[in-house]
Amino acid sequence: MNRAADQPEPNPLREGLSTRPVPQPCTIVIFGATGDLTHRKLIPALYNLAADGDLPPSVAIVGFARREKSDEEFRRDLEEATHKFSRQVVRDEIWKTFAQSIFYHQSEFDDESGYKRLAKRLDEIDKNYGTRGNRLFYFAAAPDQFEPILKHLKAAGLNETCQGSWARVIVEKPFGTDLASARELNRIVRSSFTEEQTYRIDHFLGKETAQNILVLRFANAIFAPLWNTHYVDHVQITAAETLGVGSRAGFYERAGALRDMVQNHLLQLLCLVAMEPPTDLAADSIRDEKVKVVRSLRRWSRNEIAANVVRAQYTEGAIHGDPVSGYRQEQNVNPDSKTETFVASRLFIDDWRWADVPVYMRVGKRLPKSATEISIHFKKAPPVLFNKDLSDLNVLVIRIQPDEGISLRIHAKVPGTSFRIEPVKMDFHYGTSFGKASPEAYERLLLDAMSGDPTLFARRDEVEQAWAFIDPIEEAWHAKKVAPELFFYPAGSWGPEAADDLLARDGRAWRRL
Amino acid sequence: MPAVTEKYSLGVPVAISRIDQELKKLWQQNEGAVTRASLVNLAVYSEEPGSLERNTQLVAKITENHACRAIVIEADCKATEDRVDAWISAHCHVSRAGSKQICSEQISFLLKGGCTTLLPSIVFSHLDSDLPFYLWWQEEFREPMDPQLWAWVDRVIYDSQVWNDFRAQKRLVESAQEEAKQRIVLCDLNWTRLDNVRFALAQFFDHPASHHHFAKIRRVRIDFASGFRSTAVLFAGWLAAQLNWRSEKADVANKLRFVGPSGRKIYVELGERPGEPIGEVAMETPEVEFLVTHAKCGDLLEVSRTKPGEKSMPQLMPAAKNDPVSLMSEELIRGGPHHVYLHAVNRVGELL
Repeated sequence: MNRAADQPEPNPLREGLSTRPVPQPCTIVIFGATGDLTHRKLIPALYNLAADGDLPPSVAIVGFARREKSDEEFRRDLEEATHKFSRQVVRDEIWKTFAQSIFYHQSEFDDESGYKRLAKRLDEIDKNYGTRGNRLFYFAAAPDQFEPILKHLKAAGLNETCQGSWARVIVEKPFGTDLASARELNRIVRSSFTEEQTYRIDHFLGKETAQNILVLRFANAIFAPLWNTHYVDHVQITAAETLGVGSRAGFYERAGALRDMVQNHLLQLLCLVAMEPPTDLAADSIRDEKVKVVRSLRRWSRNEIAANVVRAQYTEGAIHGDPVSGYRQEQNVNPDSKTETFVASRLFIDDWRWADVPVYMRVGKRLPKSATEISIHFKKAPPVLFNKDLSDLNVLVIRIQPDEGISLRIHAKVPGTSFRIEPVKMDFHYGTSFGKASPEAYERLLLDAMSGDPTLFARRDEVEQAWAFIDPIEEAWHAKKVAPELFFYPAGSWGPEAADDLLARDGRAWRRL
Repeated sequence: MPAVTEKYSLGVPVAISRIDQELKKLWQQNEGAVTRASLVNLAVYSEEPGSLERNTQLVAKITENHACRAIVIEADCKATEDRVDAWISAHCHVSRAGSKQICSEQISFLLKGGCTTLLPSIVFSHLDSDLPFYLWWQEEFREPMDPQLWAWVDRVIYDSQVWNDFRAQKRLVESAQEEAKQRIVLCDLNWTRLDNVRFALAQFFDHPASHHHFAKIRRVRIDFASGFRSTAVLFAGWLAAQLNWRSEKADVANKLRFVGPSGRKIYVELGERPGEPIGEVAMETPEVEFLVTHAKCGDLLEVSRTKPGEKSMPQLMPAAKNDPVSLMSEELIRGGPHHVYLHAVNRVGELL
């Protein structure tokens, strides 16, 4: 969102052509290059940037992985995947030019000589492709590989920069599994790269609507005076998916919904909704305000956790009329698994703006529809005149995905001689108003990392504060004595009754999505 | 939906006084089945006979990506009869989000004789409230510039490529801007036409280590297609404005001369070649040539940097399309004032 501190002098020929920081020539080294993320997201995103003319011409990509493969084989695999996963049709002539700067580097992650060879290869690429010694290391490998990769990068001197060049590292989530492991991971990363060089990716922040939350809040004067405890009754955040655990069972069994979704995506969305206006749009100004929100989250005692956080697991049921199996029957899942696939929670942000405004969050797999939405429920108008019998509140909904947009529920008189009032919805759909398709989150985030703009990446303290909030909940759930109950819900329902009770106790209900 | 434009008909003829009621009826008939969308008021003005149908066709395409209320006007100032005819229609397409039909409405006017002076009142009374007003003026500007009209316009869109007398036209546009107290944003499609070529050339200099080349540029060659010399001159004006080149009197029309900030001479050669409006731009320093050229496949630009002893790695980038729908779509995406254009266009005056 803003020019980074290390952003170079502006190019006079760029003036008026671009409102965003300009990506710099560089080599992107992807660790775990034969994995799913590279094929489904990273390469299609880079191809789309190239096809749109947003990628600087001097960008090379080096895939680093264990399997034996030639450059040509790697390119062919990636071409096939890009045809499958790219948001726009792959044009042969563009792919051909794009692919000529893709290389494969075979090495074990803990093989020192592999990194020495990598360093040599990167120097050659700099000479031949004008990538100017700039390196972007993308960690798409499993987190347990981060340490050897970082250690060897450092030993090979690849974390160092010279003559105005830069080295940055993008770390994929999960950023640890608890506060201690996150701190350890941060320590490991910091031993090779500074915080300024570290970009922790949370793809939710790359979504157009997530970025639009700040615009909605801070570019529209009408909402600013209402955005506080005086006018907001409560906030709801829902991230629902119809999908089950699928091929991620191995990871999911260890993580669960709380670690997989709440610690990162949902808390990031909450921060954007609840943060104070930053002093400017500099990355750290925004991140300073976000971290204050996480720090202000009320910490629950073990007893309070049971009353305010509900965990549940899906059992067999039906999605869109098709029968689906329960979580414990999924492949690679322990038949006695206690891993939660659903979390509902009632949170409070103990700061001046949000005192006593509950934030209800729910996230779950195998729910009736896939939708991520934030809704701001405003307080009732004084109970006089028309409002004596009205039960509906004004609601502002920010739809993150799918069908990105914003809607506002207001009350209107039903035409006729009688005085009947009904809620009506004013609806803004991105897809209706703007014909242009939004870029994929990874496109935006890769471009930002190449430009040196860390605004949409999580900072170390944000991640650690989020774990500090999550850890007591996990600890309570895994306590040997009196652990809060694990509820069950049939696939295709909106979660267990206990989740509804969480709001019903406060005289509220989940929004119907 | 009877009035929905298919094959680009003008839709339902309506009496001027009943336009609002008929539009309402149009939407009521289709309530629930379609969604009306509008982000701007887009008025299109032309005096070319038959332009109403042609512009309806363009608007139908433009609204696929830019929802608007379109007001399409054809004026026949020479007609002996004073008459105004009006039609309403809707342009619908399936949204990319799904099966929903998204529609933009169009009001069309055919003004004849003295009625052409009614333009401001006709436009004003049919604007969708609270939305910006863009006026696409397809004619040359002429005096008197109606202050009543210009005071309402947020962005005026024109194509300086078709101007016969650049200086006179520029003066008129500036006078309109003065009427509007500098509020109007000037949007020249001839400038939009240059977007991708400018972008392609600019990216060579994104790295600060390449900025030293600016001081060494000695020759620029700009190839343009027949009828697009003004586009090439505008490109040269942009380079001069952005790189602080002072123009010198040229002896030959297509050989422009400039002096750079350090006093060195820069020669800009304009050459007419068949092909795209701007077919190729080559910028030379004693060591490097920066080249932007249209790739063989037509809708891509090939950019390359050639230096003796260095491997040239051509890259492909999107090229602009020169049809009015693409140019308008590109222009409508961009917001904000076009300061760089104003600097460039001011330099064009010196180069003519």
